Amino acid sequence: MITQRGFVVVFAGVLLLTSGFSFINFYLVLLGVYCVIGLVVTLPLFALTANLAGIEVDRQIDKVKVFSGDFLRVRVTIRNASRRHFDFIEVHDQYPETWILAIGENFMASRIEPGSSMTFSYILQARMRGRYYLGPTEVILRDRLGLHYYKRTLKEQTEVLVYPTWKDVRRLESFAKQRQLGLMFGAHRTKTVGMGTDFAGFREYVPGDEFRLIDWKSSAKRGDMVVKQWEQEKNVQIICMVDTSGSMGNGYPENTKLEYAIRAAVLLTHMGIERKDLVGTCVFSDIVHGYVPPGTRPNHMYNVLEVLAMAEPQGWSDYETAISHVVTQTKKRSLVIWLTDLERSPAPLLNAMKTLVANGHKSLVISPFGPWFEAPVGQFGPVEKVLSEAVSEELWERRNKIARALSRFGINVINVGPEDFLPTIIRSYEQAKQRGVAMF
Amino acid sequence: MKVVTWILRIASIATFVYMAFLVYTILDPNDFWHWDAPYNFVVTVYRMLSLIVFFLASTMVNGLASAFAGGVLPDNLIVGLYNTLVLRTWYMQPYGLTGPLTNIQEVWTSFQMNLNSVLFSLFDNTFLFLYFLCAGIGVVLFLQSLVRMDHKFVGGAFLSIQAIIILAAFRSLIVPDITPFPADFVEFLITEGQILALVSFAYLEVSYQMIYSYSVGKPVEDREETLKKQLLALRQATRKQDAIERGDKVSTTGMSRSTGATAFSFLREAIERKVVGSQSALESLDAVSDVRRLQIYVDELLQTDSRARDELTAKAAAPSSSYVIGSTITGSAIRFLTVVAVSFILMSPNVIRMLLNLPIGIEDSVEMLQPEIVVLFLVPVVGLFPFAAAVISWMSRREVVEKEKLTKEEKEAQKQRQKELARKRKEAEQARRARAKARKKRKGDEVEVDEWDKALDDAFKR
Repeated sequence: MITQRGFVVVFAGVLLLTSGFSFINFYLVLLGVYCVIGLVVTLPLFALTANLAGIEVDRQIDKVKVFSGDFLRVRVTIRNASRRHFDFIEVHDQYPETWILAIGENFMASRIEPGSSMTFSYILQARMRGRYYLGPTEVILRDRLGLHYYKRTLKEQTEVLVYPTWKDVRRLESFAKQRQLGLMFGAHRTKTVGMGTDFAGFREYVPGDEFRLIDWKSSAKRGDMVVKQWEQEKNVQIICMVDTSGSMGNGYPENTKLEYAIRAAVLLTHMGIERKDLVGTCVFSDIVHGYVPPGTRPNHMYNVLEVLAMAEPQGWSDYETAISHVVTQTKKRSLVIWLTDLERSPAPLLNAMKTLVANGHKSLVISPFGPWFEAPVGQFGPVEKVLSEAVSEELWERRNKIARALSRFGINVINVGPEDFLPTIIRSYEQAKQRGVAMF
Repeated sequence: MKVVTWILRIASIATFVYMAFLVYTILDPNDFWHWDAPYNFVVTVYRMLSLIVFFLASTMVNGLASAFAGGVLPDNLIVGLYNTLVLRTWYMQPYGLTGPLTNIQEVWTSFQMNLNSVLFSLFDNTFLFLYFLCAGIGVVLFLQSLVRMDHKFVGGAFLSIQAIIILAAFRSLIVPDITPFPADFVEFLITEGQILALVSFAYLEVSYQMIYSYSVGKPVEDREETLKKQLLALRQATRKQDAIERGDKVSTTGMSRSTGATAFSFLREAIERKVVGSQSALESLDAVSDVRRLQIYVDELLQTDSRARDELTAKAAAPSSSYVIGSTITGSAIRFLTVVAVSFILMSPNVIRMLLNLPIGIEDSVEMLQPEIVVLFLVPVVGLFPFAAAVISWMSRREVVEKEKLTKEEKEAQKQRQKELARKRKEAEQARRARAKARKKRKGDEVEVDEWDKALDDAFKR
């Protein structure tokens, strides 16, 4: 292949040749011949030496699973396995568009001797959760004068799984550290009176109480039979239902309803694990993409993160399929928190809730309201403004009706925007703990 | 590599100066290297313009005056006064006119007479000016090529100098020529035109080698420089944040702006998020945290891995100077000799005649003395080289067909994922169908309305 600068030489040659022919001048013709022959004379030699198949590229990364916002070092080694040197080799290692090149460069150009190798590295910041691939690598071989080139794209790719961002958890921990007493300080504990070791108080004896519970000393003092009560700390079981239907993907990139729902799920799981509560996660749209049952295993958090990392906004919300999957796998009473935008028909949602309630579970809907996640109304023109307000009003009215229907059965619907999504999930969790909803 | 580049830079300067000198001396007998040529050109252009403006102004004024005076041309005295006072005051009277032109007929006659001579003079002066212009452009591009190290400047400088000869050939002046084309190779080598052609080609060759030497070593040097800047900017940004947190007053200098943050896209992005972004406290916190975490990551990396810095700068990838010098000399010598030899064979009709044993009619034909004879062999020979390259590529199977390379485990995992997805979809569909069937059956059996359906109906009726 002839490069751009090669074509400049061709142009010069042709210009000189035609001038020489026109003015019958052998000097101009000779110079034109020099240019043209000079361009092509080394072509067979270059074809002989530039053996693209002799180039091997190896890419290494420090970790294959990272959190969104974390840094990752990529090392690229280029080896010349052929018996010839390459005068000029350019290597471009490609990385996902949404990522940021933090330090170094993903490009290298040099000369490489036979059997030798060269290594370069660069540091990337992984942005936006999901499954990503580093590569392919583009290799360009040029001759010394840059007149000809051969190009090859090596399709070796390195898979990297990017977990949802951990920054919310970091923030929560940094606030907890400032309090000196840790994350648990000030948090409500769910307690049940009955069995246990902590003293809760006295109450009057009622027929049927076990004799061993009677506190004889206090009974003697009061002149009436008194029973000593004990209390036991209980934990709650929560299942977070993350809706990944297509409509959840609306909003600014990185700030869609789905991204907030995922951040909320991560935060909830982390808080649950910290307080020894059981938190499970179900990612669904028209099918159940992943379900991590409530648990306290050491790698529970990573299982949840992995399921959430793969979530993509697509399909429609089939609440009934999701809940039947969860209900069959969950025997204990749980608080089911739905993170859904309620933009599907309400009948399937009510059917799903019916199944939930019938199985003894409690439920709460935290619903991101679409217009609050999209462009601010201030950025619109007058027509768009009116239209968006009309659409917002209709949506609001619709979700109010769904909320009214659900409230008859004690299921709350909380409308949230980007600002109050995470505070709402924390508050809901605290309230559930306080009220002792879905204890086990 | 810098030393090699400097040596080649000096060689490039030497060849260019020699090429320019040869062009100057060979064209000197034409006696057109007058240093006032550009001035004469500008003056001639001005003369032509002033002649046209004078003609138009006089004609228009006379026409307007006659229109106002009822179709009578103005008096000679008035016209003379106007031409002398008004036009001369505004420097609009053409050069070469001594006395005032007192009527419109005189103006027209003078215009017709003068315009031809001015145009001829302009034609001559334009070429004189163009020689200087080409030389000037050539020198400027040559100087640019030494600094910017770009092929287009080298090509431009080469073509500009050669353009002087092309223009001179167009004017049929004395230009370098090789007529008759010698049959003896040694004789061919020492002709004046051949020396100039060789020097010109050598300039192209040496300059291209200079750019190669520069570009092969530059990326590694650039990487090192960029890394230094990035680390410095990162350190400065972290210190600044520390100072802000301590409550110290932070000043931003022009120096820190040019060498620090703006040179570093990641940091710039982080700062923009903080400064231009939504201004929310959390956004600022993120930007600060990103910079700090990057600093910690880089510090840890440099401490734990001794090769990390060298890999980031790709220091080991820098080519050795001796290799580059050796290959430059051998490569250039081979190319030079091959080009001269092949060109001599192509250009010399006698060689062709001997090689092909042509009939006497063709041997004696006048076409053998014409430069176009070169095309006869140039085209097939030029085509031969790419053809040979294509054959070599084909023989050595260079065209690597790239395929998505997945390991066995990855393939298995991908298959498993697809299978799992298909299974889930099938199960979900079956469940949906079963639910719909059950609901349909229940609706037929039930008389009483379900309270959930009622709640929904009530809510949506309102």
